Amino acid sequence: MTALLETRGVWQRFGGLVANSDVSISVGRGEIVGLIGPNGAGKSTLFNLIAGVLPPTQGSILFDGEDVTHMPAAARCQRGIGRTFQVVKSFETMTVIDNVIVGALVRNTVMREARRKAHEVLEFTGLAARADVLASDLVPAEKRRLEVARALATEPKLLLLDEVLTGLTPTEAQTGVALVRKVRDAGITVLMVEHVMEIVMPLVDRAIVLDLGKVLVEGKPSDVVRDPKVIKAYLGDRHAVGA
Amino acid sequence: MGLLYGLIAVGLALIFGLMDVTNFAHGEFLMIAMYLSFFLFAFFAIDPLLSAPLVAAALFIFGAVIYLLIVRFAMRAKANAGMVQIFTTFGLAIVMRGLAQYFFTPDYRSIPQSWLGGKTISIAGIFLPEPQLVGALVSIAAFAALYFFIHRTDFGRALEATREDPGAVALVGIDKNRVFAFGWGLGAALVGLAGAIMASFFYIYPDVGASFALIAYVTVALGGFGSVFGAFAGGIIVGLVEATTALVLPPALKSVGIYAVYLLVVFIRPRGLFGSI
Amino acid sequence: MDKDFAARRRRDLIIAAALAAIAALTPLFVKDVVVQNILILTLMYAGLSQSWNILSGYCGQISLGHALYFGLGAYTTELLFTKFGVLPWFGMLAGGVVSALIAMGLGYPFFRLRGHYFVIATIVIAEIGLLLFHNWEWAGAAMGITIPIRGDSWLKFQFLRTKLPYFYFALALCCLAWFVTWWLENSKWGFWWRAVKDNPDAAESLGVDVFNSKMGAAAVSAFLVAVGGSFYAQFVSYIDPESVMGFQFSLLMALPAVLGGIGTLWGPVLGAAILIPLTELTRFKFGGSGRGVDLIVYGTLIVLISLALPRGLLSLFSRPKKTGATR
Repeated sequence: MTALLETRGVWQRFGGLVANSDVSISVGRGEIVGLIGPNGAGKSTLFNLIAGVLPPTQGSILFDGEDVTHMPAAARCQRGIGRTFQVVKSFETMTVIDNVIVGALVRNTVMREARRKAHEVLEFTGLAARADVLASDLVPAEKRRLEVARALATEPKLLLLDEVLTGLTPTEAQTGVALVRKVRDAGITVLMVEHVMEIVMPLVDRAIVLDLGKVLVEGKPSDVVRDPKVIKAYLGDRHAVGA
Repeated sequence: MGLLYGLIAVGLALIFGLMDVTNFAHGEFLMIAMYLSFFLFAFFAIDPLLSAPLVAAALFIFGAVIYLLIVRFAMRAKANAGMVQIFTTFGLAIVMRGLAQYFFTPDYRSIPQSWLGGKTISIAGIFLPEPQLVGALVSIAAFAALYFFIHRTDFGRALEATREDPGAVALVGIDKNRVFAFGWGLGAALVGLAGAIMASFFYIYPDVGASFALIAYVTVALGGFGSVFGAFAGGIIVGLVEATTALVLPPALKSVGIYAVYLLVVFIRPRGLFGSI
Repeated sequence: MDKDFAARRRRDLIIAAALAAIAALTPLFVKDVVVQNILILTLMYAGLSQSWNILSGYCGQISLGHALYFGLGAYTTELLFTKFGVLPWFGMLAGGVVSALIAMGLGYPFFRLRGHYFVIATIVIAEIGLLLFHNWEWAGAAMGITIPIRGDSWLKFQFLRTKLPYFYFALALCCLAWFVTWWLENSKWGFWWRAVKDNPDAAESLGVDVFNSKMGAAAVSAFLVAVGGSFYAQFVSYIDPESVMGFQFSLLMALPAVLGGIGTLWGPVLGAAILIPLTELTRFKFGGSGRGVDLIVYGTLIVLISLALPRGLLSLFSRPKKTGATR
């Protein structure tokens, strides 16, 4: 079976700056893939290219066997790509349930069904008790969760998570990890960007490490963490020599 | 005329650039300045040209007080911040217009005889109306002073710094409110200067601000919000466009040219000609 | 929870019906022409503000140029009537369609602009419209159009001896605008609009067609406002550019919504019910020499409301429920 998501030789330049150079990755169905790398490695750029915020300078992106390279974000969402934002972007003047309904409307044109779907998703993500609260009144961890809920309501095949676990307390992070597993068990493929390796490594099936805009290493998390190139990228030359 | 537009606009640009707030009462500041200048002339026979510094000083205080009493609170709004600012300053504009109508009556007034009014000067065979000429000179001087002020003095730097990062500035011990109040004062003083000059050749009535305010917004947007140099350039462009349209179209349509240019510019460059992205 | 929601929707509808019924009965008790006049204007502005609220309140695209659509409605109706003898009822519809089309045409370039640039562009475009009509000879230029008097007739929607038909039409318009809002509020469009207002990027990522949502809101909003404009033209039976396309109309459409609660179902009605009688009464009381008092009164009101209650007067009555104990 073909991969769900594939990028082929993707380049992204901003003026003279090369954010992604010749990135080719693939994500198989049902996987949890971690996209990691030090600051400025080009993770967020690649993420945005996949989500459709901007088209790549060069290269192509395939989703579910279809070329989506120049498709706008809304259309990709309809094809089955859901995403969260690194800096949370809730609809602040709307209630939690209304936030999720916006997502649910992609596949449910009848309001009543969209509403039911939204309740389901809130139940699934553990936000049901907060359904009628304004999004602006949520605590940060809940806002992250709402982002995930909203994206899930669009019934994606692929869920893109942008640093959803960063900045949470250890307990919050644990619940987060549990939620990601639950999502995968529901049959949704997950591609997650994280900066902090410790949190994601136990969670993901496969890790892709980006450095300086290029794919540095790709493989099982246990192998990746031991790879000298990765250690070098994260910690600098001195440690690499020691390893 | 363009330079005067620039002068009116630069005060607005300053306030906007400093605090990301559009002052929709800017035209009313101009109106007040014109009335002040008129009354100084009517009661004390002070020529608008002489009273200009006085008017500017008065407007400085006025602007700062308005900031401290009203705008400061509008900036604190958490919900709908943009809307709150727009409608607060709009409400302010309406109140000022109402007060002017109430106290000064809606009559048109003008300063009958000033040193400059109605005189023309001939330079190399071209006749120029004196007030406009002086206005242009004052505007250039004011721009130069402002430019120098912002880039060469400590307070100017404090203004710049506060605009870039209010939080960090607070750490250094600069009171944000004081800087902003000063910014508002300065913006108002500039428009005060413009008002005083315009009083000598323009009719003065409560709605006078409204007609210039829109042109001022257009000028500022043309140059890119918050850019002092942009406002200056925008003013000149607006003046030129106005003069050109007056040649081609009937005089009643002369503003259409200005508006059209505005729309054209923002559609091509949604952030104005000199606006930072 | 779903039941709560359905109950709330039903309650809104019942209250609206009750209010409309009460309003419909007022002419039985109110015979004074001045008061009737105020009531008609209040209802009209409530309807207009409700329509404005669709684009600016729900969808978040603050327009201060809606006078353009108001004027277009008035002019389309009257030009069709005086030049081609088209009945005002059709003219009204035509005005609405013309305005909606123009709103969408303008939307193409306008909706790329954000924040202040958008607001100023809307003011500017209305001002251009005003200037063009001022200079358009065929449309009466600055002289405007006087609507020929052909006697009382429903067909021509013209009444001299009584204001009651106007009253009921204004009421119908207000109800229509309210009902459209009520209906759209719980539709895909309503959700899309609010999402676009709060965060266009996030909306886009959830499959919302941001551009077309704005276009839809602009079209509905412009259509309803134009119908209001045709009504006004018939009501005052004389129009000129200033009196139907002046900036004050843009303002008077925005202010009730801002006062009552922008982006809410009841805000515009509440705001208009307070603002318009207040304005008209102060104008009436202090008319003539004291002109300007009305401006002072409502200007002050707006400053105070914007500062103290940024979500409008309505936020005094219904605070959003806070359930959890997390905070």
